[in-house]
Amino acid sequence: MSNEYKAWEKVANMLRSRSLWMLYYCTGCGAIELPPTMTSRFDMERLGIGPMATPRQADILLITGYLSTKTLRRVVYSYEQMQSPKYIVGFGSCTLNGGIYYDSYATINKLDLYVPVDLYLAGCMPRPEAIVSGFAALMSKIDRGEANGWKEYQEKNDWYKSNQIEALGEVYVHDEFHE
Amino acid sequence: MYTMNSMNEVLKEVMTIAGEFSIKEVTAREFIIFVEASRLNAILEILKRKGFSHLSLITGVDRIEDGVFEVFYTLFRWESGETLLVKSSVSRDAPVITTVMHLWPTARFYERDVHEFFGIVFDGNPDLKPLILENWNEMPPMRKDFDPQKYSDDHFPDRHYGAEFLVEGGDESE
Amino acid sequence: MFMNIVITILSGIALLVVAFVYTVTLEGIARKIEARIQRRYGPPFWQNFIDIFKSLTKYSISHGFIFDFGILMALGGTIATVFFIPAGNLAVFPGIDNVFVVIYLLAIGLLGMAMSAVGSGNPNASIGIGRALAQMLGYELPFMIVILGVFFHHGTSSLSDLVSIQIAQGTYNAWLMPIGGVVAFVSLIGMLGKKPFDTFIAPAEIASGPLVEYSGKYLGMLMIQHALATFIEIGLFVNLFLGGGRTLWEFLLKFLIVYFSIVIISATIPRFRVEQAIKFYWKWPLIFSFVQVIIVVFVMGRR
Repeated sequence: MSNEYKAWEKVANMLRSRSLWMLYYCTGCGAIELPPTMTSRFDMERLGIGPMATPRQADILLITGYLSTKTLRRVVYSYEQMQSPKYIVGFGSCTLNGGIYYDSYATINKLDLYVPVDLYLAGCMPRPEAIVSGFAALMSKIDRGEANGWKEYQEKNDWYKSNQIEALGEVYVHDEFHE
Repeated sequence: MYTMNSMNEVLKEVMTIAGEFSIKEVTAREFIIFVEASRLNAILEILKRKGFSHLSLITGVDRIEDGVFEVFYTLFRWESGETLLVKSSVSRDAPVITTVMHLWPTARFYERDVHEFFGIVFDGNPDLKPLILENWNEMPPMRKDFDPQKYSDDHFPDRHYGAEFLVEGGDESE
Repeated sequence: MFMNIVITILSGIALLVVAFVYTVTLEGIARKIEARIQRRYGPPFWQNFIDIFKSLTKYSISHGFIFDFGILMALGGTIATVFFIPAGNLAVFPGIDNVFVVIYLLAIGLLGMAMSAVGSGNPNASIGIGRALAQMLGYELPFMIVILGVFFHHGTSSLSDLVSIQIAQGTYNAWLMPIGGVVAFVSLIGMLGKKPFDTFIAPAEIASGPLVEYSGKYLGMLMIQHALATFIEIGLFVNLFLGGGRTLWEFLLKFLIVYFSIVIISATIPRFRVEQAIKFYWKWPLIFSFVQVIIVVFVMGRR
């Protein structure tokens, strides 16, 4: 890599870490901790993080809580619609090791077998102070250039796809309204 | 002119028309009655005409030690605020029961749900597709002989922690 | 002759840079003010720059030729319009900047966005653009009628001439025709797309409306276009009703005052539905604009 390419990446990473846009896709019960983080008391906008309504414009996908298999198929769709560079943050213990739903027939146990995760926040649910410090850790990780989940998804795509198919059967969404 | 009878009087009237059944009183406004599957539709229709016009829920319970499935209908009467649970049971080997779609059209979705999770076939319901699960090839999951832990271990791999984590977790001898 | 061309080009580039930097900084400061109204700290005031440059570093996908062309048309039309707004003594085309040219070129921006929204194929985008164009029907009508009153009174429709007339006379049009000034201010809030008239962006309802399929670089270009369009619209209002400015700094100061009063109003009001917005515009503002024009034609006469 030439030197000027590396310098450009540094500048770009600095810009990306200070203006992260979050997708409003609150998947599980942990989404209840997001409104206190966004509103006046634990203001998240001062870090540059703002909400965005569509996957095409968002940078971060927050997986807040348990993921049932039905939701995981749609999350994979949304993740593949986002534009790189993109980051995934896994909230709560259910994304780490299944949490309190570890023996359920409908929820997955380990999130980073299916999508690449850049940061985990443990807790059931993490409080807004923990969320803000987690985002600060994510920002410094992006600054250092280590948050490369999106590159990994492209390089090891076969591995991720085979994991998804093994757990879900198929990732194609059959909608009752379109068939 | 519709007069509001108390629950006991209503049930006694129904018993005179359709035959005896057992009544249990939980509170002043909540009663449970137990009816066989053959008389179920007739009694539900009479109850609907007596004012229990709202079907809140149809659900099921797996009584594996008795070898039956119990099907619950929760009826609600708006004028007096009373809840009535109508219980009925079908055998576990050939669970077939008649639908109540002609009385309440919304029963279609409740029966789809119960069919998907217990395997009870509702005779007369044209639309018994899966409602909630997708790509499900195993036995209906709410039955008591389905092992969710085994299914989860087979399909969804867990995270493996190193040995030091378990030792730090706590020492019994302290 | 050659020097004239060079001066025109240089002043055009200078005006573009001033417009972009100043408007984006003001948008950042406006976000800070909104945050303080809501009793929290806000982002730093250069946050909008970071947003725009970050969008330009992302990968983006395209939906075909019409999609690309629409966004280029929008940005190109807006950049072309910026050259026709005199900013104090920085006027790129003095004498030939007619208000009708500005209004014509301003419509190209919205139409470009409409074209690319149609090209993307997302129904959210079509709904958003339908609302935006319907709202444009609403606010253009009172605004046009009031401006016709201004032209009749002064006898010219060139922006730099109007500015120099107001400076020479000493009274601004907002003092001469106060009703018209207020009507134009209300139309301005609709033009900018700020609350209560921001139904066509409406993030929580239709997923950003026409912006729904833009990603990465297209979004960056669209944000630049939005900043420049803000400069054009507020600049038009300041030049027509508040006398422009003798120097660039006076123009920028008046720009700041108008922008912040709009921000403070829109930080506290919820949003109209699109048919409520059109009904609102075609009721009282339209009546008052007719009243104003009747006063100008029959009472004030030509200058």
